Amino acid sequence: MASTPTPADDVSLVIVVVDVNPYFWVEKANASTGTSDIDFEQFLQHVLAFMNAILLLNHMNYLAVIATGSDSCSFLYESLAGESVSDGEGKPPSKRMNKHHTPSAKIVRGLKDFVSKELAFKTERKDNGKRYSLLSGSLSMALCYVQRILRQDPPHPHPRILCFQGSPDASQQYIAVMNAIFSAQRLMVPIDSCMVGSQHSAFLQQAAHITGGIYMKPPHPEGLFEYLMMVFATDLHSRRFLQLPRPTGVDFRASCFCHKKTIDTGFVCSVCLSIFCKHHKECSTCGASFSQNKSSFVTGQKRKLSTN
Amino acid sequence: MDFRPSRLAVVANCVEAFIREFFDQNPLSHLGIITIRNGIASRLTDLSGSPEAHIKVLRGNLECAGDASIQNALDLSRSFLCQVPTYGHREVMLIFSALGTCDPGDVLESVRNCKEENIRCSVVGVAAEIYICKLLCEKTGGIYSVAMNEAHLKELVLEHVAPPPALAEAAVASLVKMGFPQRGAEGTIALCACHREVKIGGGYTCPRCKARVCELPTECFICGLTLVSSPHLARSYHHLFPVPVFEEVPLDAKFSGIQELSKVCYGCQQLLPLAGSKVTGVRLVCPRCNKHFCFDCDVYIHESLHNCPGCESFCEPQT
Repeated sequence: MASTPTPADDVSLVIVVVDVNPYFWVEKANASTGTSDIDFEQFLQHVLAFMNAILLLNHMNYLAVIATGSDSCSFLYESLAGESVSDGEGKPPSKRMNKHHTPSAKIVRGLKDFVSKELAFKTERKDNGKRYSLLSGSLSMALCYVQRILRQDPPHPHPRILCFQGSPDASQQYIAVMNAIFSAQRLMVPIDSCMVGSQHSAFLQQAAHITGGIYMKPPHPEGLFEYLMMVFATDLHSRRFLQLPRPTGVDFRASCFCHKKTIDTGFVCSVCLSIFCKHHKECSTCGASFSQNKSSFVTGQKRKLSTN
Repeated sequence: MDFRPSRLAVVANCVEAFIREFFDQNPLSHLGIITIRNGIASRLTDLSGSPEAHIKVLRGNLECAGDASIQNALDLSRSFLCQVPTYGHREVMLIFSALGTCDPGDVLESVRNCKEENIRCSVVGVAAEIYICKLLCEKTGGIYSVAMNEAHLKELVLEHVAPPPALAEAAVASLVKMGFPQRGAEGTIALCACHREVKIGGGYTCPRCKARVCELPTECFICGLTLVSSPHLARSYHHLFPVPVFEEVPLDAKFSGIQELSKVCYGCQQLLPLAGSKVTGVRLVCPRCNKHFCFDCDVYIHESLHNCPGCESFCEPQT
């Protein structure tokens, strides 16, 4: 952040990553406990209103929307120079006022295309297994897009990523999500998260902690728009002057490479740093064999001589 | 032409940059600082994993006086490094500005002792090339370089940030038991085990003995368990599962797959070159997921992100 204010200080690039995993939303609708919860249609209305508000806050704000499905991820909308994702031509000014070409209409159209493509993938593969949402794919695409914006001529907008996540964390994606988080930290892009499901996400808590973003799970989801406007709408420069929600505690536990379950204490291979939940004879990642049995444990008692 | 405002100020800036970058690239490592003043080597900071502590002490201790003694420096470093376990790598980096060394005994014996204990010594010279430094680096397998100007000095110092390649027979593998603590919420009040004071908010709880520590990575002060957070280990996982090299697609290729050539880069949605279009550049494809990328995304993916967006956006069907 520059210490002297410049005209581009409050221009933001907001990349919204929306979880549209159908398995999560259908399960949520079935388990809904009444008015204190929202279904996908209401959620979308809150989010679309919020995205329009972002574009209104500053005439130079950029917005991009990425949908995270269970079989693919794709860009739904980007407000770069008036071009839309689906076609490369710019529209003449009179057509932009048409209600079919507003950002909200484009996003909804993009979403419909995306969901029908997902359905095509599913029927093609013919399996009904439950799937997790591909968060690492969307975060990677968002970061590539940020790089593209930063390659343009200065002054650049200040980029940030906002994730709406409801599906539980997929431990298979741990390494990819951590790679994305470290890359975001190096680019100084905060990753904010708004949880719309019932459980917390350790990945996104770590992302917010490492990149300096905000992690929030609204206690009353029916008022989602108010939470979004109060917490996530301000640009990065103005966040310094606000009292934002403090983190409630970050889960830094790792998942073991052998069973993918989260562990409190584990064994780490000294060559490749892979984590195991119990003592193994050999490292499955790098092939190093651990012939000295107990010589590297930290114990206070007398150690038996190892018989090699 | 000499370093401005003073050699010590320039060297202190380089060392500070080195400390920050070192802990960024090697989060589980420990670093200690030793100063040589008036021929005596003294410990400035102990071997520890916290960059801020080192930088604070360094900035408070910037005075120079007297001769330099390589033997005393090496002997003191050895006494600290002999406590490092066998799976750890031991290194000494000497930033040397004097034109000779003033030792109480035989400096070559110190060099021999370092070689026996597998301590790799490197020297970054500020003034001129000196024979004893060259000999030290040759015998222990380190790198000797002499700076020509300030920018070159910083470059040489930062070259030592990345760990040196390890020989396979020298790298003894062992399984080290580590704990992964949870971070406390902002309002919790507890006695911390490192400073023995009441601390409010933050802090990490050891999973074995439930003591509170202030920062990671560290060893629990009560039970001795090494405590790390998973991001510290995850920083090096991209070396284990690298992204495959992308191949170039010739512009006039007729795509024999299911779909035609995509118009935009899969990562950043920028227009890609196509036969007959005005866009120039190269088009690259990932061999695993067959998605097309632009040249800038390729550079970013392989150097910084270490994830291919195409491979990550594709879910393998469960068997």
